[in-house]
Amino acid sequence: MNFKHKYMFLLPGLLVLLGILIFPIGFTVRLSLSSWDSFYPGLDFIGIENYIRLFTDDLRFWEAFGRLSMLSLTTVFLQYVIGFSLALMVWKGIVFQRFFRVLFLIPMMTTPVIMTVIWRTFFHESLGPVNDFFNLFGMNPLWLSSEILAKFTVILVEVWQWTPFMFLLLLAGLLSLPKEPYLAASIDGAGPIRTFVYVTFPLMAPISIGAIIIRLIEASKIMDTVYVLTSGGPGTSTETSSFYIFIKGLREFQFGYSAALSLTYLIIMIISFTIIAKILVKLMVRGN
Amino acid sequence: MSLIASNLCLKPDTEYHLNDVCFEMSKGEIYTIIGRTLAGKTTLLKTIAGLIAPESGSLTLDGTDFGRIPVWKREVAMVYQQFINYPHLSVYENVAFPLKQRRMPNVEIRNRVMRALSQVGLDGFESRKIQALSGGQQQRVALARSLVKEANIVLLDEPLVNLDYKLREQLREEFRNIFSAKASENSILIYSSTDPVEAMQLGGQILVMDEGRILQQASAKDVYENPNSTKVSQITNDPAMNLFEGTVADGKVIISSEIHFDLPQHCQGLPQGSYTFGLRAAAISLADGGFPFTVELSEISGSETFLHLKHEHVQVVGLLDSVQNFNIGETVSAQFDTAHLYAFATDGRLKSSPYGGLK
Amino acid sequence: MGVLYSTLKYLAVTLWSVFVIAPFLWAISTSFKDFQSVTNGATYIPWVDFEPTLEGWRALWKSPAQGGVAIVEPFFNSVFVTAAGSAISIVLGTLAAYALSRFTFKAGPIRNGDITFFFISQRIMPPVVLAIPFFIMLGKFSLLDTLVGLILVYIVLLMPIAVWIMVDFFNKVPREIDETALIDGCNPYQAFYKVVLPNSIPGIVVAGMFCMIFGWTDFFFSFILTFTEVQLLPVAIVALNSSITPWWSLSAAALVSVAPLVVVAFIVERFLSKGNLSGALK
Repeated sequence: MNFKHKYMFLLPGLLVLLGILIFPIGFTVRLSLSSWDSFYPGLDFIGIENYIRLFTDDLRFWEAFGRLSMLSLTTVFLQYVIGFSLALMVWKGIVFQRFFRVLFLIPMMTTPVIMTVIWRTFFHESLGPVNDFFNLFGMNPLWLSSEILAKFTVILVEVWQWTPFMFLLLLAGLLSLPKEPYLAASIDGAGPIRTFVYVTFPLMAPISIGAIIIRLIEASKIMDTVYVLTSGGPGTSTETSSFYIFIKGLREFQFGYSAALSLTYLIIMIISFTIIAKILVKLMVRGN
Repeated sequence: MSLIASNLCLKPDTEYHLNDVCFEMSKGEIYTIIGRTLAGKTTLLKTIAGLIAPESGSLTLDGTDFGRIPVWKREVAMVYQQFINYPHLSVYENVAFPLKQRRMPNVEIRNRVMRALSQVGLDGFESRKIQALSGGQQQRVALARSLVKEANIVLLDEPLVNLDYKLREQLREEFRNIFSAKASENSILIYSSTDPVEAMQLGGQILVMDEGRILQQASAKDVYENPNSTKVSQITNDPAMNLFEGTVADGKVIISSEIHFDLPQHCQGLPQGSYTFGLRAAAISLADGGFPFTVELSEISGSETFLHLKHEHVQVVGLLDSVQNFNIGETVSAQFDTAHLYAFATDGRLKSSPYGGLK
Repeated sequence: MGVLYSTLKYLAVTLWSVFVIAPFLWAISTSFKDFQSVTNGATYIPWVDFEPTLEGWRALWKSPAQGGVAIVEPFFNSVFVTAAGSAISIVLGTLAAYALSRFTFKAGPIRNGDITFFFISQRIMPPVVLAIPFFIMLGKFSLLDTLVGLILVYIVLLMPIAVWIMVDFFNKVPREIDETALIDGCNPYQAFYKVVLPNSIPGIVVAGMFCMIFGWTDFFFSFILTFTEVQLLPVAIVALNSSITPWWSLSAAALVSVAPLVVVAFIVERFLSKGNLSGALK
């Protein structure tokens, strides 16, 4: 089925997107080949010097990458486990089902930056309620100013914010599962755990994979939380790739270099996600 | 009005969906396209409708090149195997849709819709929602919608295949009545099916299709009596015609050391040599004095028994008109009704048939 | 076994609920405090721990010059930009998604799948990467600090979501329905809007929802690309995060910004229970 009309459907959206994107992407490429910064403004041409620098001389970039991987994988994993558990719990057979479902959805509807501002006051080391509680035990953990705890706080806020997203996708998936396998399982006398392992989990595999990939893509962009909560600190302990690019570009005004960083980051991410997606799909096919 | 196809070809990947298809159809007739699954029937129907464009060849209606006319301007109607209706519209709106599209006055739309619904036996169903209907009812709605347009060409792609047995029988009977009325209204009706019995029941002309080719176009009677090749004989018989190799020599047909018989009347004159012989299942019966065969399998179906027999390299299926039990491995004596023997050349073409003699 | 499982379930659900509500409760309580109540250590219950005032709430109407937060204008700016951006993204995205689902495109080595991938891969880009070029580009067209400029940027943000969801959704609508419409006399445009569209409402609602969520909650683009003329809600609120942060007005403003999407949460849950969402999201 192929008609001339097909172009009228596709092109408005495609052209608008391309139109708005073409300049930024093209410009970023060009920029990455220059050394534009606040000392030497202007579009000169230095070839791939920026790229050489980032591959040989910029440990900080790769550390940020490592931190990003750790943070996103941890948060997505936690979100998946918690989100799945919550979805299972409010799937059926619970009082106030509707209330809990709506409640569990709310955090993802909020603006991350705004909630993080609130979290900042919440975890405030001298005036916040968390330490008020810990003070009762004579402790005063430095939620935002100790390297390890800062990571913990960021993960906690991310989990609060985005678990509902996983929860939504997984609950929708659960609600659309066919009833027959469950009837068969109960006839076979399977208890809740066995039913989960042998029926629910396998049936949910494709949806789980989709949800995890989507969340990973979104999580890799984490920026708002870090910006407000810790500004990448203390030191660089919560500095992620996008935050590092942000600093280099909009705080230190090294436009050329940050453009090179951006492109490298982009290409690595596209390749990584394509590989991850392919692996997960293969795992799923093998599982079947 | 006539629909003529010449050399339609379509090869989207490694296989031919349409391989040099030619046919000629005239108004007022029912044409049944019969073939196995993936023979290209649906592709052909969709090409006639305009949903698929052939890579080469032409399709003309009364001299006008169909290829130039887009789907929505061709006067065709189509019923699918999956019960396709517009889910968001009621039964009335479904059937009225094509007429509304043509901007017909509402009064006339009402007349036509009510008439069509009546024809398919759905009086009183106008305001029902599609999802609330059973499969058979949904298919009737689809049929009503295809009738209401009074299109030049009505295409039906195995419309009954997804219904249960009883419903299929019932609808087949109803369809036949509707179609004879329709056909006399100057339309061309094209029906596709995998079931030879259904094809024969509908009467009309039959086009046998396999691997994208039209193997034979003839009346139902003709296709039954004179299938022009072994392939056609396989496709148009259920159970498939038994085929076995043999030779003609000295006035005898020799199949194996123990199976041989005199050359039947209608085969006199066949040159000596190797042939493939065909015999319908009903032409094999159990009686003393026949050939020795071992029972491989016996299937009871309704009030008949299909007996799978084997003797050396010869494997046949016989149809017995009663329910009988056999043990696997049992030896029985099978009689061949040689007056209904077909002879095909080694390349598959029909050489002699019980109804027409030598070819 | 059943009782143990049940108790654990309710316990877990309650714990998580507390976790979810905690920051909101804190924000509500804080919104009624003033400088004293905040700096003397953590306080919780009004009238018991501290004297409540409406300062925080009143500040929402006052402009910064008067010591307030003034979120009224930013609030409506956010509404406008999110709505406009979502609407345009959904219209363009749905059309494109329909084409990608139904027709075959071939431009050299590029096929349908590649085009879809192009749309979806926009989500991989962190806002930071686009921010600087957009800054320069909008500057050239005098679109910095304008609503229109921001809407254009939002389209890049939201169209991929619309395309992603709708392509999946359209793939589930049998194409035989389109074909029947064509046979019944509709050209492809009519087939789309008379037959396919009415049957795609759940998908569009889901797409609309996600567009609104991601649009309303964006911070970075409005942060970089607007300054004084136009401010969106998240930016206005974060701007308060200075050395002397007025916790009270901050909390009040935050609560106001959260309210609209709570309504969306209700709608989502309704859809979920009716089973419409499940089909669309797969």
